[in-house]
Amino acid sequence: MKRLSGFSVGVVALAGALVFGGAAMDARAQSKETLTFAAATFAEAGRGDKLKVWIEKFNKSQAAIEVQPVALPFSTLAKTVFTQMGGGAGPDLVRFDLNDYYAAVQAQRILPIDDGIKESDFKFSGPNKYMMVGANRYGVPFEISNYALLYNPQLVKGGKPPANFDEFIALAKASSGNGVFGYAYRATMAESNGFWQDLCNFVYGFDGRWSDAKGNLSINSAKVVEGVVAYKKVYDAGVTPKGADASTYRRMFWERKLAMEIDNGGVAGIFNQQAPELPLAAAPSPFPTRAQGLILAPITINANTKHKAAALTFMRWMLQPENQRELQGILGASSVATVIERTAEESRQKPWLKIYDEQSAYGVPQLVQGFEARTPEIQQVILEQVLQVLQGGVEPQKAMDEAQRLATARVLRK
Amino acid sequence: MAINLNNKSGAGRADWTPYLFSAPVVLYLLIFQGYPLLQELYLSFTSTSLLSPAKHVFVGLRNYSDLVEAAEFARVLWTTFIYTVGCVVFSVSLGLGAALLLNAPLRGRGLARSLITIPWAAPPVAVALIFVWMFNGQYGVLHQAFQWVGLSDGMEGWLNDPALALTAVLVTTVWQIFPFASVVILSALQGVSSELREAAVMDGADRLSVFVAVVWPTIRPTVMLLTLFVTIWSLRRFDLIWLMTQGGPIGRTNTLVIELYRRAFTFRELGEAAAVGMVGLTTALLITIVYFWFNVRAERAAGQK
Amino acid sequence: MNHSIDWRHSVRVMVVLAILGLTAFPIYWMLVTAMTSSGNLFASPTHLTPDLKQWPVFSKVFGETPVAIWLKNSALVALGTTGLSLLLAVLPAYALSRFRFAGVGLLGLGLFVTQMLPEAMLVVPLYAIFGQLSLLNTLTGLILVNTAFTVPVITWILKGAIDGIPIDIEEAASIDGCSRLGTVFNIVIPLIAPSLAATAVIAFFHGWNEYVFAQTLISDAHLHTASVGLAGFVGELSTPLHSVMAIGLMYTLPAVFFYLLVQRYVVAGMTAGSVKG
Repeated sequence: MKRLSGFSVGVVALAGALVFGGAAMDARAQSKETLTFAAATFAEAGRGDKLKVWIEKFNKSQAAIEVQPVALPFSTLAKTVFTQMGGGAGPDLVRFDLNDYYAAVQAQRILPIDDGIKESDFKFSGPNKYMMVGANRYGVPFEISNYALLYNPQLVKGGKPPANFDEFIALAKASSGNGVFGYAYRATMAESNGFWQDLCNFVYGFDGRWSDAKGNLSINSAKVVEGVVAYKKVYDAGVTPKGADASTYRRMFWERKLAMEIDNGGVAGIFNQQAPELPLAAAPSPFPTRAQGLILAPITINANTKHKAAALTFMRWMLQPENQRELQGILGASSVATVIERTAEESRQKPWLKIYDEQSAYGVPQLVQGFEARTPEIQQVILEQVLQVLQGGVEPQKAMDEAQRLATARVLRK
Repeated sequence: MAINLNNKSGAGRADWTPYLFSAPVVLYLLIFQGYPLLQELYLSFTSTSLLSPAKHVFVGLRNYSDLVEAAEFARVLWTTFIYTVGCVVFSVSLGLGAALLLNAPLRGRGLARSLITIPWAAPPVAVALIFVWMFNGQYGVLHQAFQWVGLSDGMEGWLNDPALALTAVLVTTVWQIFPFASVVILSALQGVSSELREAAVMDGADRLSVFVAVVWPTIRPTVMLLTLFVTIWSLRRFDLIWLMTQGGPIGRTNTLVIELYRRAFTFRELGEAAAVGMVGLTTALLITIVYFWFNVRAERAAGQK
Repeated sequence: MNHSIDWRHSVRVMVVLAILGLTAFPIYWMLVTAMTSSGNLFASPTHLTPDLKQWPVFSKVFGETPVAIWLKNSALVALGTTGLSLLLAVLPAYALSRFRFAGVGLLGLGLFVTQMLPEAMLVVPLYAIFGQLSLLNTLTGLILVNTAFTVPVITWILKGAIDGIPIDIEEAASIDGCSRLGTVFNIVIPLIAPSLAATAVIAFFHGWNEYVFAQTLISDAHLHTASVGLAGFVGELSTPLHSVMAIGLMYTLPAVFFYLLVQRYVVAGMTAGSVKG
């Protein structure tokens, strides 16, 4: 009788210890004012560690403020942070993607920072204009990245990039075979954000835009449909690893199983850092116009924060030229908020940087302008219709008409 | 075997013991499931954004009427139905087959019984990752096997093919849950009276008749209960499907739970998501009620025999 | 006569082996993928056996990823869920078995309702509640919410097991002067040990495998469980697939081993009590 009551007591003790021990683990001693800064970049091997070192520099320079990097996976960052913000918490500083930025502004989840960051103090680059919503600025660009055609000169037949779209298809076909694919892009709902980015590149390249100057949706306009037709042409050409997600086909590029892909400067930087012997070159994307998507990731301040002044201090530190230069070096082929020239050495070692930097002038955000905060829903509608074109045999014009109809209905409803 | 509360010696005093024993759990469940459920019910009549969950705009039945009108929602219901039926039919029948096999005397039976439960022990996140790789359209081992056997033209992996994606997800799910079914049925099989079984065999009955006359009636209640549980768990299953296809391609694996999650966290519309959740819950409740109704009738019929 | 029995027996053995092969293959494939060099992952034809020279991948992932922390957190959550669930479920199971009172039907209904609730549906309101209780970003919070999902099933199973214990034993103890609570813990619990093992397994798996709450309620990287950590690799370029699979394997095997330890009792414990006589 006694032995078994000991067993029971043991279970109670164990359960109690585990249940309450968990709470004790969160006790943290604090002497400096501590801020958390959440970004997907911290989770990247290579760039993430260098970035953490860069943040440490700030911490060492400050007696009273410490910034703690929080690494969240790219695919779930917005979801996680928004849920936390809705609950009254969340990290103090957040690096968002542009569409999440607009959603956050609309829901008043991030603070306007005009009082802390003065335009005239810094040499901001062009894309900085997208930070203004209404009359206020809500963030500062952390990373600006453009898209270009990345290719492996050894795998591309002829070693030269294509000059136009038809040449591109022909080259992709010619380079495919023997376990090598000519081109890769995203076309699955499981990767809807990346799919959207790739689709925007095609549509913008054919001079299409999702909304027109009058503020109406133009999903079924002729140029947009041209872009979708092009997307389908590539799909039907049999040159892509169908269903492969971006991390897989970027890996394939790394392992020399892929000849070309249109990707952003950040990825080019990763290839360069992690696989220096990989033959890598860049060219403008093979479309009629040079307009391509623009990745603009701003750093913002959470409306729930208790450390607004400290956050602004960090932002101002970040915008100092030396720190901007260092950040740009870490990010690879991306640019930073202010205009920082590449060193001659960098340009020599990484000739593909030039293509990405030149592309800045042509970058268009991958959003539905005028409906920025509604982009996720509109995006879902458009992607579903494009998939109907790719896999369901629907005519591109018909599919885009349907997308226009559904998106308008959704958007007008609220 | 149960104690009747009114029979306690020390007459007249009500025994609070059972209520005391049950109260902590009831309270616990009310806090962690009851209250959130009521919140969700309320949310389903509002328009609420994930970014401002405290700001509810009351919209009455609009979320529900939108669901009824949307053509895609009919597809969601259909997909959920197919997925659930597929899970139940295949996992229970495979589980039954495996249980019967492992019940018969066999060398290494104990080891086999242990090994067969590996899929059940495997975490859904890890299972999703390995099956996605195995189904990969260019390098997946399953993809290559299917090509070899002629089940695939080699162009597209199953997970990306609208016609085959649900099958792939079903294969993964059944792989993961049939061991649970087999363990449950196996333990029920232990209750089959060996005397009855031997009597039937001695009467000259063949194996099928023995099964129908002796084994099945004993395990039927367990199998029926198992079927009910697998059904309502299928309506709830999220991790595997989300990590494998997120409901694609073109909505072919979009079940109610996936739709709920997407509306809440991608579209950030908590009200719509809650409405979808309520539809799912109602479906599960209806199924449970139907099950019990049938069960009561069947038991009554069996009792009258 | 003997020949036909042998033939049937052989077929049976082959089918069992085939089923075992199918159930074990994906785990084996995790091992093969973990132990394939990055280049060979994209080779054709696919290599069917692990490349034994690649075994350092397992030690490398400990250096390159926080997998040790993840596994530790998963273990804490799983063990906590197990302990708390069993603790909470014993008394109500006993009450439902031994007493006839209004609760039985209600609990049965409640059990089914809780089994129907998807985590995804409750996560947002629970997030708000946890925020108010300061349980956000704690493993304790995860343990509490996981327990809510396992307690109904465990109560049900334990009730069934207690049903199978003859009441005379308790009455004898009561005559000996044992209190009701004492009877429960000293007499009844040891007798339902197989069911306790079975329900411990259920609770452990739930805590170990859980994903949705672990993903939403925890934001600190050092509190992430392995399910969240592993899922975070989806769509990420820098970690090669073989590392991801190595982590997947390390996440899968402990649960499998735990099960194999107690599986002897599980089969008996699942429906104990409904087996009469």
